Amino acid sequence: MSNHSFPRPEEPTPRQAREPVAGRCDACGESPLMRYPLLSEGGWYLVVKCQSCLHSQQREKWQRLGHVTLLTDALAC
Amino acid sequence: MMAVDVGGTFTDVVAVSDGMIRTAKVSTDVQQVDRGVVAGAAELGVADATVFNHASTHGLNAIITRSLPKIGFLTTAGHRDIPDIGRSWRPVAALTDPSWRRSFGDAARPLVPRYLRRGITERIRADGAIHVALDEAQAREQLGVLRRCNVQGVAICLLNAYTNDVHERRLRELVREELGDVPVSLSSEISPLAKEYARASTTLVDVFMKIIYDDYTHRLDAGLRGLGFAGQLNFADCTANLIPAADAMEAPFRVVFAGPAAGTVGSAHFGRLIGEPNLLCADIGGTSCDISLVTHGEPFVNTTFELEHDLIVNALSNDISSIGAGGGSLVAVSPSGDITVGPGSAGADPGPACYGRGGQQPTMTDICLIAGLLDPHGFAGGKMVLDQQLAMRAFERLDTPLTFEHRVRYAWDIGLNNIAEGIFNIAIKQGIDPRDYALVAFGAAGPLLLPALADLVNVKRVVVPPHPGLFSALGLLSADQAYGLSQSAYTLLEPGNADAVAALFESMEARLRRRLGTQTDVAIERAFDGQLVGQTWETPFVPVPAGPITAATIEQMVENFHQAYAERNGNRFASIPVQGVTYRLRAVVPTDKVTYAELPERRGAPLRPVGTSVLRYVADAEELAQVYARDDLCAGDEIRGPAIVREALSTTYITQNQIARVGRFGEIGIERIR
Repeated sequence: MSNHSFPRPEEPTPRQAREPVAGRCDACGESPLMRYPLLSEGGWYLVVKCQSCLHSQQREKWQRLGHVTLLTDALAC
Repeated sequence: MMAVDVGGTFTDVVAVSDGMIRTAKVSTDVQQVDRGVVAGAAELGVADATVFNHASTHGLNAIITRSLPKIGFLTTAGHRDIPDIGRSWRPVAALTDPSWRRSFGDAARPLVPRYLRRGITERIRADGAIHVALDEAQAREQLGVLRRCNVQGVAICLLNAYTNDVHERRLRELVREELGDVPVSLSSEISPLAKEYARASTTLVDVFMKIIYDDYTHRLDAGLRGLGFAGQLNFADCTANLIPAADAMEAPFRVVFAGPAAGTVGSAHFGRLIGEPNLLCADIGGTSCDISLVTHGEPFVNTTFELEHDLIVNALSNDISSIGAGGGSLVAVSPSGDITVGPGSAGADPGPACYGRGGQQPTMTDICLIAGLLDPHGFAGGKMVLDQQLAMRAFERLDTPLTFEHRVRYAWDIGLNNIAEGIFNIAIKQGIDPRDYALVAFGAAGPLLLPALADLVNVKRVVVPPHPGLFSALGLLSADQAYGLSQSAYTLLEPGNADAVAALFESMEARLRRRLGTQTDVAIERAFDGQLVGQTWETPFVPVPAGPITAATIEQMVENFHQAYAERNGNRFASIPVQGVTYRLRAVVPTDKVTYAELPERRGAPLRPVGTSVLRYVADAEELAQVYARDDLCAGDEIRGPAIVREALSTTYITQNQIARVGRFGEIGIERIR
């Protein structure tokens, strides 16, 4: 039975790792840019955001399940 | 007196002196709009003008095209998506469309991108009490972000700030300290009304207009003064009432939608002169047909208007509906083989096929040329020659098995029916019977198209005013100078609250008197927007009796509300208490208006046509129409259709079953022959 169950998570909350990106923000000139997935109106995006002013330096559509496309994702194009 | 109506393509200028109306039409310089205005003023001579009244759509165009400066938006923490969410209203066509996005949302083209909308730690309750004090350190931190992002202005709209403006005023001081002297608008000053989204969007639009119009106003004022103008520069608001330029720049969101309103006010003024208090006003230009209503001599006024779907501004505005039907409306063949007309337009460039500027699709203007209604050598005052062969070839190119005659005839009928449907929809929406209303036809294409659909909409008669091609600009010389003030305060209207209502009106009147300055003998009208307790939508403009506010006044206000409610909705709920929501003041300063010279009556030789034209495709058989020059008309003249009346910037078409009578102010009244 235990072989088929997932262990209790050790982290108190799920956490998405943010990947540092070199460069400066086009809007405010600060440097802490990070790349991470983000859910917004229109679906999931992979963004590069300034952590100071939250300006989106880059914004690309992202499939959170890789090559699998859910019907709901196809509808909300 | 001089007025200017700045459009996207042309700037119309009119000057009135000694009863003479002179006009000029110059190209709009979209890079520096004031240049075209000053050029037009110079052409007509502005030195002797006492007033210069101005309406422009370039602020509106900047919003529609998002050619906007970078500004910041400050609101209560957790509510920065107010401008994105809107009222969450979807258009009917999008109710079942999951991919629909509102045009100003974050997934489309926001007015202010999300990263420039910053939350401020503070909270004011609905009763005005401070629930969370303003965190100034956190506010300075957020302002630091805006400073690094080089914003050019800041809009501030905090929750419930219309009941207590202390945090907004302090935030403005902090903006001054952190960002310097950038334009700042407070919702509690600009639009102290309930409902957060409309207050926020109005405040945003106000900051944009401050940035767009501030330099413009200074350049325009300097340009006019340079030409010797020493009079009063006024801006028209969204009801086409006039506001002195300096006062208008205090809250410039009011001038964003001024141009279309002027035609309605001009119609109302002209209607009073000719004894027509009930008017359907239709302004047909190249792209659109703007339809509005005047009842008992007064335009129908709304408390808000939409710049785009659900992008609303809290400004009094004339109720104007636009449909995509004009001289440039494109004729096409649908995938199922039907002839369609509009809503797409050829615009000014390339324009209709007959312009010879490369337009390949036929338009309503091409139909009018082929039909023999337009003079190819007299179009736009003779400044442009139209090519009939190009118009015919455009129809021949249509991919349809219909004969040439049917293509043109069907397109004509469909184009007219589109406009008729638009007018009829307005009549139904406002609950009026078109048989009680005269249809005022203006705009360059109005007199050409509207008389032909008089039978379709069943109006009393069609009235073509003098100078129909520049009638909107003339409307700016038909308006009064008006000052208004509105303030929301939810108050149950019962005798015990008379003192609270009185105090509110007193403080508002003191503020309005300060704006009126030396004009002390101006009567101030009061009104309120109210609702039955439990409702969320108000009945606007309920009259409030003059004099001190007493318990008896409150009872009269309640009775006035029930009457207004019954007139609008057909029901009266006298047992339900009434709540006052928004209180309004309006002061009207009567100003000089355009006077239309009276035409003499005909003596001697009868009216003679200047030529004839064979009309094709607009009736079941070819017709020979008499052609008259408008300058030849005298009061009392009668013209039987089919006939055409030509003037510099417009053409009037009187159909076979109609008779036109010239009124004493030069208006052409067109009726069915009975």
